[in-house]
Amino acid sequence: MALKGISIVAARCLSSLDLLFRLDRGLPQSNLRLVVDGLVGALAIGVVATTPVAAQEKPSSLGLGIFTFTSGPAAAYGMPGKNAADLMIDEMNAKGGIEGVPVKATYVDEAQGAQGVIAEYRRLAADAQNQVMVAALSSANCLALAPLAEQLEVPTVGWNCDTHQLLMDGKSKYVFRPNGNTVPEFIAYAIYLLDRKPGVKTVAIINPDYAFGHDAAKIFTAALKALKPDVEIVAELYPKLGAPNYQTEISRLATARPDVVFSNLWGADLENFVRQAAPRGIFTSSQVILALGETVLQRVPLPDGVIVGVLGDGWWMSPDAKANPETVKFAEAYKTRFGEYPVFPSIKMANTLIYVKAAYKAAMLKNGGKWPTRAELADAMKDSKVTTLTGTVQTRADNDGVVDQIVGVTVKAPAQQFPVIGDMVRYKGSSLMPQVGQDPLAWIATLKPEFAKSLPKPGSYK
Amino acid sequence: MLNAIIPLLLDSLASAALIFFAAVGMTLVFSVLRVLNVAHGSLYSIGGYVAASICLFIASRQLSPYLSFAALLFSAVFVAAIFGPLIERGLVRWTYGKSEAVQILITFGLFLVLEDLQRLIFGVQSFYEDTPMRLLGTTSIGGVVYLNYQIFLIGMAVLVVVGLRLLINHTRLGRLITAVVTDREMAQSIGIDTNRIFILAFSLGVFLAALGGALATPTSGIAPGLGADTMVLAFAVAAIGGLGQIEGAAVASLIVGLARVLAIYLAPSLDAVAPYAAMLVVLLIRPYGLFGSVTARRI
Repeated sequence: MALKGISIVAARCLSSLDLLFRLDRGLPQSNLRLVVDGLVGALAIGVVATTPVAAQEKPSSLGLGIFTFTSGPAAAYGMPGKNAADLMIDEMNAKGGIEGVPVKATYVDEAQGAQGVIAEYRRLAADAQNQVMVAALSSANCLALAPLAEQLEVPTVGWNCDTHQLLMDGKSKYVFRPNGNTVPEFIAYAIYLLDRKPGVKTVAIINPDYAFGHDAAKIFTAALKALKPDVEIVAELYPKLGAPNYQTEISRLATARPDVVFSNLWGADLENFVRQAAPRGIFTSSQVILALGETVLQRVPLPDGVIVGVLGDGWWMSPDAKANPETVKFAEAYKTRFGEYPVFPSIKMANTLIYVKAAYKAAMLKNGGKWPTRAELADAMKDSKVTTLTGTVQTRADNDGVVDQIVGVTVKAPAQQFPVIGDMVRYKGSSLMPQVGQDPLAWIATLKPEFAKSLPKPGSYK
Repeated sequence: MLNAIIPLLLDSLASAALIFFAAVGMTLVFSVLRVLNVAHGSLYSIGGYVAASICLFIASRQLSPYLSFAALLFSAVFVAAIFGPLIERGLVRWTYGKSEAVQILITFGLFLVLEDLQRLIFGVQSFYEDTPMRLLGTTSIGGVVYLNYQIFLIGMAVLVVVGLRLLINHTRLGRLITAVVTDREMAQSIGIDTNRIFILAFSLGVFLAALGGALATPTSGIAPGLGADTMVLAFAVAAIGGLGQIEGAAVASLIVGLARVLAIYLAPSLDAVAPYAAMLVVLLIRPYGLFGSVTARRI
């Protein structure tokens, strides 16, 4: 035990030393930093290896490392996730925590960049009380943390992590994503668009300039081309993530005169784009699709008829959500505490915590009521089916989640001061995903117009 | 053809105006104090936060929305009056005559403090206040709808260039500044209070930074992290124009604006690198910038 204590202290000291070198974030790694990172990693592995993770006694508290953006432009998306985690954890603890153990969250701000996020992950993983990591929001950080999770053998649940690349190799043991991914999320928009505007000829894309933006453009374009081969992409713009000004991009979109403008901008970028594009007529001259539009419904006056969705089934006003008293209670409690109704990142976080709680329950049922090890917990997540606030999440053999996809358009609602989602459709998650191990883009290329015809139509989900 | 060129030109000018406001304050401070103020970007974003806060206050009290234009100017004056003398006397003056590395480290430290201070006061969420933009409406040019506020910004940038030139060349203060820039010791020996000039010049630089942030807020919003982006862009513009050259900053802003707009229209993947590619090309041809010149170092 003394050795373990010394190891943890040493790991923390080195992590603190690492924090000192954060001043160089964004700059190339210094050799010293590489050494520090390496030492921290080595120690973390040592600590994990020597820690009695097989401890079967209930700990005094269950630590969760929760990774999200709490600062910078991405905080507009990340903070609703943190708020939901705060609320859910308080509610869980009020009922005795998870299986009788109070939950204690440590939040990590992803705005510090991948190097800092990795260092924080190692630091938290070195503490045996932190049994699960809820990480992360950014696809880039998820990709960076996934190998580390496997190396340190820490169950890591991606509460957002949209990129389809995360679990493509199908070999992951400790990384789970109880969410949809870029493949079902963006195929859903292509199908909904073609149902709503079958005559569409030209499309312009404005997405953020990193993996999520480029992946989404690739998948949306591939799905459109497969389902309607004569569609032409007339402009593809990738402004820098966090760019405050889109005026030139808006002029470029206006000169291209597309039938459809598709965007998966998010956070403050999305708010900025909407505020700048609306007065310049983009929403009236083209059919606009804002893949993450639901997140700004309560903050920005979006006109009617904009195609929006929730990258999954996390719409707090969907028919399923409204029929679930737990969801209604959660939404009202969220509104009371934070002054706004939960947006879909909040629901994703809440559903992820429900998923973690269910895994503990399943693991303890399996091992006779003993507190599970990290490995037993990961094992319980495999092939699980969990009822969430907004539907169900089925974990596949590759640890990827299958959730339904809700898409609709903005409409005015007499009961609300902001637009809501109307003319909704709810696609079965399994119908929009390739088989385990199948290349997603190759699978999308095989789709035929008949495939779209077999799916439910806009307005069918009510 | 004209329909294709007009958006390019207008977007370049509008983009250049915003870039110019981000860079001109840093350039002015360097020209007088010979200090590269890394905290410039933070002062830009503080100007934006203060402007947005005042505009929101005006809206909450249901005062005339046209007061928001006055608020943009007032916020810049307010920020300059508070931070200008405080930073110059409290920190920057200790760096005079010291190496550039010391100056950069001290102002970088200040940048970090100011960035955290903003998070502490204004939080981490984005701030928006677009009343001035909405009041001015839109204009359709060549089939493309533009915000009149964009045209207003172009006018403001021209006004600042002309105003600064008039101030430097045709006022007593301007002549005193010129004397200090030309030969600090000689200016001191003939009785010019150089400390006062430094405070005024630094405060003017802070005013221009804060004005840039205030004018940008109605169209762009403001969020943590803006300061760092602004600082890097301002430095690129100052380097292209020649450190300390106000007209250089104006021309460099046009070059960077045009480079960005051309990239977005013709090669969108080069958008982010366009300003720095322009900087690289200019510095390869003219290492001291377009308007800069070699100066002898006094030992």
